[in-house]
Amino acid sequence: MKLSRKYFRTFGVASVAGALSLTMVTASGASSGGLAAGAPVKIGISLSLSGDFSADGLAFQQGYKLWAADVNKAGGLLGHKVVLDIVSDASSPTQVVTNYQKLVSSDKVNLTFGPFSSLLSLPAGKTLSRYGYALVEGAGGGPSVFQAGLHNIFDVSLPVANNLMPFATWITSLPKSVRPTSVAYVTSNDPFTQPQLTTIEGTLSKAGIKQVYNKVFPAEVTDFTPIADAVAAAKPQVVVLGSTDVPTVSAFMQAFEQSGFSPKVFIATGGPDQGSTFIKAVGASNANGIMVPNAWYGGSANPLSKKMVAEYIKQYGGTAAGVSSDVVEAYSVGEVVAQAVKATGGFDNKKIIAYLHSGAVLSSAQGPVKFNSVGENVTPTAFTFQWQGSKFVQVNPVHDPNSVKVLFPKPAWGK
Amino acid sequence: MNATALLSAAKDGILTGSVYALMATGLTLIFGVMDIINIAQGILVILGAYLSYALQVHWHIDLFVGLLITIPTMFLVGVVIERLFFRRLTGPERTGMSILVTYAVSLLIEGALNMIFSVNDVQLQGSYVNKSFAIGSVHFGFIYVAGFVLAVVLLSALYFMLYRTRFGVSVRASVADQTSAALVGIDVKRVSTIVFGIGVAVTAAGGMIYGATNAFNASTSYDLISRLLTIIVLGGMGSLGGALLAGVGMVFVGDMVGVIWSPVWSSMSYFVVLAVVLLVRPQGLFGKQSARVA
Amino acid sequence: MSKLKYSWWAVAVAAFALFPVVVTNPTYTAIGVYTLLFMACATSWNMFSGYSGYIALGSSVFYGVGAYTMALASIHWHMAPGAAMFWLVPLGGLVAVVIAVPIGWIALRVRRHTFVVITIAIFFIFQLGAINFGFTGGTAGLSLPFIQWDASYYNVPFYYVALGIVLVAVVISAAVRRSRFGLQLLAIRDDEDRALGLGVKVGAVKLSGFALSAFVIGMAGAIYAMFQGQIYPQFVFDPTFDVSVALMSFFGGLGTLTGPLLGALVLESAQQYLTVTYSNGSLYLIFFGALFLIVITFMPRGVVNFFLDRRRATLAAASMANPSPTPSAPSTPTPAARSLV
Repeated sequence: MKLSRKYFRTFGVASVAGALSLTMVTASGASSGGLAAGAPVKIGISLSLSGDFSADGLAFQQGYKLWAADVNKAGGLLGHKVVLDIVSDASSPTQVVTNYQKLVSSDKVNLTFGPFSSLLSLPAGKTLSRYGYALVEGAGGGPSVFQAGLHNIFDVSLPVANNLMPFATWITSLPKSVRPTSVAYVTSNDPFTQPQLTTIEGTLSKAGIKQVYNKVFPAEVTDFTPIADAVAAAKPQVVVLGSTDVPTVSAFMQAFEQSGFSPKVFIATGGPDQGSTFIKAVGASNANGIMVPNAWYGGSANPLSKKMVAEYIKQYGGTAAGVSSDVVEAYSVGEVVAQAVKATGGFDNKKIIAYLHSGAVLSSAQGPVKFNSVGENVTPTAFTFQWQGSKFVQVNPVHDPNSVKVLFPKPAWGK
Repeated sequence: MNATALLSAAKDGILTGSVYALMATGLTLIFGVMDIINIAQGILVILGAYLSYALQVHWHIDLFVGLLITIPTMFLVGVVIERLFFRRLTGPERTGMSILVTYAVSLLIEGALNMIFSVNDVQLQGSYVNKSFAIGSVHFGFIYVAGFVLAVVLLSALYFMLYRTRFGVSVRASVADQTSAALVGIDVKRVSTIVFGIGVAVTAAGGMIYGATNAFNASTSYDLISRLLTIIVLGGMGSLGGALLAGVGMVFVGDMVGVIWSPVWSSMSYFVVLAVVLLVRPQGLFGKQSARVA
Repeated sequence: MSKLKYSWWAVAVAAFALFPVVVTNPTYTAIGVYTLLFMACATSWNMFSGYSGYIALGSSVFYGVGAYTMALASIHWHMAPGAAMFWLVPLGGLVAVVIAVPIGWIALRVRRHTFVVITIAIFFIFQLGAINFGFTGGTAGLSLPFIQWDASYYNVPFYYVALGIVLVAVVISAAVRRSRFGLQLLAIRDDEDRALGLGVKVGAVKLSGFALSAFVIGMAGAIYAMFQGQIYPQFVFDPTFDVSVALMSFFGGLGTLTGPLLGALVLESAQQYLTVTYSNGSLYLIFFGALFLIVITFMPRGVVNFFLDRRRATLAAASMANPSPTPSAPSTPTPAARSLV
């Protein structure tokens, strides 16, 4: 059998090399401070190229590859060419553990970048912590990741819990005469969405906005019509939807339209930020007025972001509004690690971890990055974005110079 | 919660339930005649939906017109699967074997669909998909009503065929007892092939409605098959009336639980209902008592 | 069993025991841990489903219960992260057995094909419960005390504990096979009504077999939870686990002792290896589906049975050619050795 022959050959080589390298790796926590001149720097990444997270996994892959291409064009990291070693985890936490072990011990990568979602980042972070490797990631901002007490995990994106605060501030700042009077909260049973809704419930009810519906639906549900019908029957003026993907948002929108219900304000925690994927699913006219919280959007004035968006369009086509926020999350991971490598003068993970914990303020396409002791990015402010016509614009915080006026109330469906 | 919410949930349960009943009828019919549990029914529904999708995207063929192509295609798919894998499957172990065979078939189809259509969710579109009309305070989505009508028409046609035609007599005789049916000169093999084809053909219609009301990809099939299996066991395996009642009943119960209590418990309610019913009636609502062993 | 057979077992055990000494690369010892867990689960699953003919597709209920037992107990008892947590492994197995009794009582009231579906339904009740109840941590899952062993040997203790439960599973399965209890399970598989007529207490026998099979699977789940350090409801109550153990047992040969071991060894290690190497999930599905259709078509009784049958046929042919005074192995399997599904 072919397979077993290959197996044994790999085993033979691996057992000798593995034993040697492991002693080295564990002795100094990746003693690759100085790579041999001309040797490429290998970066190991496990991504969900199939399974539940594959849509996001593929967008992340674009972001990572875009970053690597940009760095290599500029001469690489400290003169070393960047090579990405990407393996698929099929969206499974079991596979993610095997994958990072393989990346470190068999493929001998110098650095590791994170997978997609908190679900996979946590087991990946635990595994890598035993190797002394830093896991810098862009999509693992759920509270569970930071509660695990890991010293080696860093999320360059916004901690999700405060995502909706600028939105809540805006709603409550509206003059009493036009301020909505009722709100419905409906969320997927998901560690990414639930904390966001819980954070703003108090703020809204203090401002006299009555809660007329508040229910959780299971993450695996596919038929949203009965849930959307129940929300519509409660006739809320504001709908806050805790969603992670486009199909969920589009299903709610479709069901709302069918039941002749159009809320004055409709915000969804995830999905409308997916650029062209979202527009393709719901149609540009239906998207008009839909809001989404996030740390970044394609039209961001940040020069790093502008550069990335331009590169993206050159490579993949489309428009600025069409760039998924997954891409920039991945891209920012690369930028942050590159700065840490330059600051520490090498690829030693121990030094990189110490540097990232030092409180240094780094820059990324998503804005400034500064980590606290558990690896949360403490600097960024959340924004709220809105689809206005075919444009995706920033609307909150209200006083931010880059914000435009909120389209309120949301036009009827198809208008 | 108010009256509108309850009425809407009831409407959703009945309209969606009828489509599940249609898909489950195909499954239970195959089991009744051939003692085969077709685990691939879930992925075949998705295949049917993707066929409609392909016709729509590439040739701009309307979803309902497309059924004239997808229903016969799925019938042929069923016939081919039966010929390839079930002809040689005989003896007392065939039911157990059929689970493994159809599971393997569904893995093959799932892998192929993933490669052809990618894993990104898609949904079937049509000018009428988002339209609705209202009776009182309850809004009826056109696509759901159309799905209900389609299910009723196809199920009626199926009943007519089974109870008013010669072929139907052969099918029912094969359900009752294959050996005796063969003795009186019924070509049980031919009946089996055609029944398998019909059981699969209904997935074209079910898949189209499912795809127009839900975003789907190949892995959606797992959720579908678990629901369909629950429905046919609750109704009594092999019982058409049982599949009909259980299909509508389970979705109805799930939707009501969702609105009265919480959507979190709707899917669980199916399985709890099933466990409770089986405690009282191990053969399901309309299953045959004699079929039970021990 | 002959002396020769015992020595083969000894060689196999020694090979498995030496593996992490020879192959120290954590990539392969990690694959080794998962493979051993599946070998234990498939063997234990086969001990009930293979012997009795009642195909269960909800065994991940036991795996999940074992995993949550390990997680909840280690968290709530504030256990120090480390080897002491291994003491919770048998507890995971015992809790799984306790859970298995009422499940079996409901599910085993029905005939075989309905039993399959009911085990699936019960599986979903447990999965949805784990997702939606508060004490399970919901979809965020549970984070176990974090074991800071060095990466170079982290996998090794898990490997040997997993190997230990494979041995437990094999010993239980072999002992059952040779006992009166095992014969009763086989009799149920061959003809349940006749077994009942012969005075076998079929209800009690089936329930005991079902509950016994939960023990090892629960222990495997507990090891998995400790090894991963983090569990999620949809990955410990995992429908693909249910199908995998059944397919592994079938692939090797249902109702045999070595079949499920071989099936799990080949399929699990191949799956993990192919995924890390080729990173294409869709191709894997097609490969897996096609492989199964081929095995089902050409070796409908599994790989091990296929070769056993061939050897019997050869022996029978040989004994016909040179008739000897001592009767050789019968060319047709005895009813008890006949394999179902």
